[in-house]
Amino acid sequence: MTIRILALVGDCYGAQGGIARYNQDLFEALADDGAEIVILPRLGDAAGLSLPRRIRQHPPIFGQLRFSVASLAAAWRHRPVNVVFCGHVFMAPLAWLLARLFGARYWLQAHGVDILPLGRGRMRRAVEAADLVTTVSRMTRRNLLERADVLPERVRVLPNTVRGLFAPGPPSEALRARLGLGPGPLLLTVGRLSASERYKGHELVFAALPALRAEFPDLVHVVAGDGDDRARLEQRARELAGDPAAVRFLGYVPEEELPSLYRLADLFVMPSSLEGFGIVYLEAAACGLRVVGGIGGGSADAIPDERVGVTVDPKDREALVAAVRRSLGQGRADQTAVEPYRQPHFAAAANKLLARLLSGAHRMKSIA
Amino acid sequence: MCGIAGIHAYLDVAPSVDRGELARMNLRMATRGPDGSGDWLSADGRVGFTHRRLAIIDLSERGAQPMHSADGALTITFNGEIYNYRELRAELEAKGCVFRSDSDTEVMLQLYEERGPAMVEALRGMFAFGLWDSRQRRLVLARDPLGIKPLYYSDDGWTVRFASQAKALLAGGAVSRDPDPAGIVGFHLLGSVPEPFTVWQGIRSVPAGATMIVDATGPHEPRQYYSVARSLARRAGEAKADAAGARAAMSAAVHDSVRHHLVADVPVAVFLSAGLDSGALLGTMAELGARDTLAVTLAFEEFRGAPLDEAPLAAEVAARYGARHVVRTVTRPEFERDLPAIFDAMDLPTIDGINTWFVAKAAHEAGIKVALSGLGADECFGGYPSFADVPRSVHWLQPFGWVPGLGAVARRAISSLGGARLGMHPKAAGLFEYGGSWPGAYLLRRSVYMPWELDDLLEPELLEEGLRRLAPLSRIAAELQAGRPLGDFDRVAALETSLYMRNQLLRDADWAGMAHSIEIRVPYVDPFFLAALPPGEVLAAVNAKEAVADIPAPPLPLASRARPKTGFVTPVGRWLREAAGAAQDVNFSTASRGWALRVWQTGWTSGLAPA
Repeated sequence: MTIRILALVGDCYGAQGGIARYNQDLFEALADDGAEIVILPRLGDAAGLSLPRRIRQHPPIFGQLRFSVASLAAAWRHRPVNVVFCGHVFMAPLAWLLARLFGARYWLQAHGVDILPLGRGRMRRAVEAADLVTTVSRMTRRNLLERADVLPERVRVLPNTVRGLFAPGPPSEALRARLGLGPGPLLLTVGRLSASERYKGHELVFAALPALRAEFPDLVHVVAGDGDDRARLEQRARELAGDPAAVRFLGYVPEEELPSLYRLADLFVMPSSLEGFGIVYLEAAACGLRVVGGIGGGSADAIPDERVGVTVDPKDREALVAAVRRSLGQGRADQTAVEPYRQPHFAAAANKLLARLLSGAHRMKSIA
Repeated sequence: MCGIAGIHAYLDVAPSVDRGELARMNLRMATRGPDGSGDWLSADGRVGFTHRRLAIIDLSERGAQPMHSADGALTITFNGEIYNYRELRAELEAKGCVFRSDSDTEVMLQLYEERGPAMVEALRGMFAFGLWDSRQRRLVLARDPLGIKPLYYSDDGWTVRFASQAKALLAGGAVSRDPDPAGIVGFHLLGSVPEPFTVWQGIRSVPAGATMIVDATGPHEPRQYYSVARSLARRAGEAKADAAGARAAMSAAVHDSVRHHLVADVPVAVFLSAGLDSGALLGTMAELGARDTLAVTLAFEEFRGAPLDEAPLAAEVAARYGARHVVRTVTRPEFERDLPAIFDAMDLPTIDGINTWFVAKAAHEAGIKVALSGLGADECFGGYPSFADVPRSVHWLQPFGWVPGLGAVARRAISSLGGARLGMHPKAAGLFEYGGSWPGAYLLRRSVYMPWELDDLLEPELLEEGLRRLAPLSRIAAELQAGRPLGDFDRVAALETSLYMRNQLLRDADWAGMAHSIEIRVPYVDPFFLAALPPGEVLAAVNAKEAVADIPAPPLPLASRARPKTGFVTPVGRWLREAAGAAQDVNFSTASRGWALRVWQTGWTSGLAPA
């Protein structure tokens, strides 16, 4: 029997960002194993894209009411639905309702920042009613268990996976010349420059540059990414770094160009305090780039040990300077530490979770 | 009877097992097993077990653990005793199994080979184990039906860890110490932490009578293979014997259980009080041919020559059955000297266990490793006042529950009128609100504090969250789920056995006994024994709690029967009260409140961080 999954997500195909990426990886892993997946996104249009086999995506609907009505219609059209997958906690009450109406199992995915304001009402009860909750990191799991009364066995961790294009390789001197970066060393940060994501810690790196450049005069901080906070960050870079040449803003860099950037850089630095998982850490490490991340959030899960890098307290500038200095002398990241995050491991784990969900008792907990 | 621990890194991204962490967990349990220590790490580094051994069956090295099956595919670390291992072994041998040792542990491996995790249902005894099945790549955790042996686990989403003690998990260094509101509220309500909670959010108890599978997706929900209420319901459906037949059945059941609990390759002693239950054990032991049994009795200076002194009567019973009698006198200075060690050994906060600490200490001094205890007799024979009080409360007060809110109004009225000044126990205010339902009446009977009193002791947020998660009344009600209605006696027996005995008495017997390397065996706590007893209403009709005296031949002396049931009347109660700094003129049940707070503040509030 083919397993049919109805997926309510924030975004998936035709969208950027870590969560869209994660959803694609997950659905492809499940579809590869034979599941049929119908995706209902709030944002991101897949029109014109060729989607993998057994995966279909409806046009995006942002409005809550229209989305709810459309999801009911979709569930009716695609019945029997075996699993309702919910990609964001805010849609949990709807997912719960659909699962109940259509006799499906209810799988909730929590990414981290989305569970912070869980509250005490309907939202919390809808989370507690899930048959299976997956989180990307151990920290998110712990936060969720603290905020909701869910049986811990029901909350599993499915870490992000790193795609095959992220792999070690020789640095491209042509790229260095094209970007005019000089001999380095090069510190690299990759991430959205968004006012809502200031926790990523760009300014902390800028502030550390004078001390670092005293020791490495040609050191440059390369910032990849774009967003509504860019102008402000450029201003802060001028104020904090001391030298206008010390920070280089590249703007948005398409994913396929990231590997060569990682191979060219000497250290990935992002002292983030609230990363749900921090897939960029892993992608950097998968290209051989050693990582300095921030303590907090789920970063510890993407930087499992010294073979990949270290995490520092984002508030501690001296620790950051010391970690950068030490890491610059340690060479490339060890690929054996990245291997468990590769796609075959992720796909096996995802399909085992689906099998576990389907074999478990069918519980339909009331949230009234 | 030992200490066990293990680590399984089940997700591919999890770092491999850290030998150092295993060693730290092992060390924290050193007193559980002074006779040996063993470790095992799988070739791929994804599973590691450790074991502290107290050698009781097959003292040779062939009984050492962790133990592997002959082909190396199965590995077990096991704490406990299997009393029917010889029968099981004979069955397996008849089917062609070949054994390499005389230990009960090897029987478990071969039985698992044959039946998988369901093999726990055939085991008669007390046990907690972790078993690695390398063919199916799964870890099986299991605990005995009634919860005699403890087993805690911690799952962070990548790696699962288990151990006989919660404090051993913490000692490993990788487990979070975040407080668990449900466990903390539970302790303040009941004086012990109700499973599956502990006081740490990251640590839970494998429920009694459950198995738990950990595969590549992590731990699955525990599977309950035994329920007290269901087994009592089954027993209630059996044919009812007359009074003489019932007494004979009781006697046969006790004889059979004691016979099984004597299986050991070292001498088995008995903890002897002046009560009937432990005396009946000693008498039955003698009748079954145990000679020169050591009987240990606690005595207190304060009671010398007073009716509360248990020693003279215990001496008479010991003499009757030819036992060597050791009377161990405990003084207040010794109690105070031992307090820091008691807090250190206490695995989870509890208001009891002090008597067990000293009687186990005495047994250890006498060179003993194994002792029988009368624990559990009050639960199965109806020895507690709750067997009368709780049904009476429910039958009288049920009508008050028909008017919604009436009970709460009555409680507030009594509280505001100053019930305490009228000499009422603070809990009495809740009589109308709680006393009319089974779970409510039971909570009222067994609680140290009632929910509405906790406002003064705990942070409002912690209290609200803890009560929501603990859901004390529905948790109590769940222990009455038997598929059909139980009689009054069986209801109270089910509640006492699966709540008070499990969370308080058995847990205390474990930490206090193991701290002195003493294995405490409990013949009255045995599903095979419970099933062999007559139905609850028949036990009530023949007054089982007194009929115990006639079980051994010759029966217990007349003086034993004449002694009024005294309950908890050691001066330990008074010491606790004074150690807790409470007023002198309060009864014990309010004194235990002061002690509860002392335990909490001394042992647990400094960041929930015992060493």
